[in-house]
Amino acid sequence: MHKILAVIRREYLASVKTKMFWIGTLALPFFFVIIFGLNIASQFVNPESQKTLALIDATGKLSAGVSEALAQHELDDGRPEFLIEELEGDGSIDAGRKSLEPRVLDGSLYGIVTLGNDLDLPENFKLYRKAVGDESTEDRIRRAIHDSVVGLRLERSRLDVDREQLEALVERVRLESYQVREGETKKKSFAEALIATFAFVLILFMTLYFYGFTISRSIIQEKSNRVIEVLLGSLSSDQLMTGKILGVGLVGLTQVGVYATASLGFRFAMATGGMDMLGDVLSIGKLVYFLIFFVLGYFLFSTLFAMIGSVCNTEQDAQSLQFPVMMTLMIPYLTTFFFVKHPDSTATLVTSFIPFFTPMVMMMRISVLTPPFWQIALSILLMLGAIYVMFRAAAKVFRVGTLMYGKRPKIAEIIRWARS
Amino acid sequence: MSAITLKQVVKTFGEHRAVDDLSFEVPTGVIFGLLGRNGAGKTTTIRMMLDIIRPDTGKVEVLGRETADGTKDRIGYLPEERGLYPKMKVREMLAFQGAIKGLPHAEGLRRADRWLERLELGVWRDKKVEELSKGMAQKVQFIAAVLAEPELLILDEPFSGMDPVNQDVFKDLILEMNRAGSTVVFSTHVMESAERLCHEIALIDKGRAVLHGSITSIKERFGKNALRLEFEGSGAFLAELPVVEHFNDYGQHVELQLVQGADEQEVLRAAVGRLRIRRFEIVAPSLHNIFVQQVGGEGSDA
Repeated sequence: MHKILAVIRREYLASVKTKMFWIGTLALPFFFVIIFGLNIASQFVNPESQKTLALIDATGKLSAGVSEALAQHELDDGRPEFLIEELEGDGSIDAGRKSLEPRVLDGSLYGIVTLGNDLDLPENFKLYRKAVGDESTEDRIRRAIHDSVVGLRLERSRLDVDREQLEALVERVRLESYQVREGETKKKSFAEALIATFAFVLILFMTLYFYGFTISRSIIQEKSNRVIEVLLGSLSSDQLMTGKILGVGLVGLTQVGVYATASLGFRFAMATGGMDMLGDVLSIGKLVYFLIFFVLGYFLFSTLFAMIGSVCNTEQDAQSLQFPVMMTLMIPYLTTFFFVKHPDSTATLVTSFIPFFTPMVMMMRISVLTPPFWQIALSILLMLGAIYVMFRAAAKVFRVGTLMYGKRPKIAEIIRWARS
Repeated sequence: MSAITLKQVVKTFGEHRAVDDLSFEVPTGVIFGLLGRNGAGKTTTIRMMLDIIRPDTGKVEVLGRETADGTKDRIGYLPEERGLYPKMKVREMLAFQGAIKGLPHAEGLRRADRWLERLELGVWRDKKVEELSKGMAQKVQFIAAVLAEPELLILDEPFSGMDPVNQDVFKDLILEMNRAGSTVVFSTHVMESAERLCHEIALIDKGRAVLHGSITSIKERFGKNALRLEFEGSGAFLAELPVVEHFNDYGQHVELQLVQGADEQEVLRAAVGRLRIRRFEIVAPSLHNIFVQQVGGEGSDA
């Protein structure tokens, strides 16, 4: 154990002490903050102007309350922030909205709010705008609607409520945000989930590949500067491989941990600023799953990369073997879009149980919906099994491969070592 | 008790038999030379002693055990291909090498400092390994091998690529380690260094031991039937004399191995008148000549 720890320590310090590691680790959150910061700054920097809002109210009972609540918001110069045009929704809300959309596009209307008749339907309340980035305005409108809706719900229920009912009645109203464009009008929250999911998957793809690659490069370097033989004179090949995988893994975990912490910090900073729009896409639960799938994915792929490193003598040599491994990582990454659109399809479900695809596909599913816990647990168990099998195979290949110089063995030969 | 025992050890790589039915023993406390040409199987044998690779058949017993569990910490190893981490600081790297032998990190650092000071590398201790000259790196590598005070020190071609000053430093260190109680095994294809240092040797060729025993007993076995000659003139004809079994030209002198029972005066008689002889000495054959005679059938690069 002492020996494995020594290898872990060396491997960890060798990476973490380099400038490159910290540049790589800090650059991503840094850019993230800059991009979001600019976005938010532009919202605040923009000169304040009054916003004309069209209210289409199918209930006929909400618009007064909403207008009243919105009227409380004032600009810095004391003028009301919102100018309201109330319209009766005579049966077809959509017709009314469509007729108003040209005004949204030409800028004379800031947005259209539609209030449907079924208060319990989650997609009952909608906001249509030309630009959907202004989260703080969206939030003010949402709150105004919320208060009126709760009032109307109470009225309709005739106050004969028990506790459970009351909770249902005052349940937070969701405001779905749509982007008005020529041709189609698109739901916005989907895009947000998509961005978050892409971010998770991209970071998984990058870190799994990078740290796997680091393992194989580190082994090849030790072979080429012949340190490996000194090491094998002091510890067994299993100890060496375990130490290296854990050491490099710890470096990766440090980096991913910094990402997770930075994004949480960012989220809470936003929340204190009154914009908790990331609360859902960046929940602590999701970040924990992200770390779990990083660790499992890393262990699985590091065994492959350790095998590759041990049988190759130069990095060029390794490239041809790394290619299929990279493809395995690429497949779920490139198909993210399909999986995100169909997170519950059989194809997605099956793919998420294939250990080499699990980290990314399961993470996608967790990001866009909440899969049943048994599915997550099963995928983790399958991965642990795969890691066990791969680790044993890699240890055998490593033992033979590390001392092989000269021509790289054929894949059939490597498989034979692994099974011996 | 023997420090190392090899019994009928066979190791093949694909078609190639690197070690073929090899048996010998290394007694505890000696300096032991493993001699042979390049590719004779020395490094493979050493790797099996260290349990880096395992024999196909046969038995390798080191420090009383067949597997290296627990013995690797008691063995110091200097591989033929020097391996150091180029980006690490010298003393950190040495402490790491100690740590994988079971030394606590702080103790490793302390011993590293002491050794570096002793070998006049004190000022380099916080420099990166890649900044060291070749000679310095060789010393650092040696320190790495002896840091954990091994009972058994195995050196693969310790003198290759070394300048004479460093060769002497190493020779003294090997003697010192041996006097302090370590068994030392080293491989070489340079017979002179073996002859000066070793108590016992095994000469291997094509994976087999062709000679094995103490230097004195081996020399006795070959008898005093060699001639050392120094002369002026062209001595090439000496090789053609019927009494000469083997002729070796060293430039400044030649060494002649005579056939069994031959009269050395034959050589003298043949030389008179053709060469101007300055020295004529009957000697025991050098290890070099014994080596060449044993394995040099098809030309030797030793």
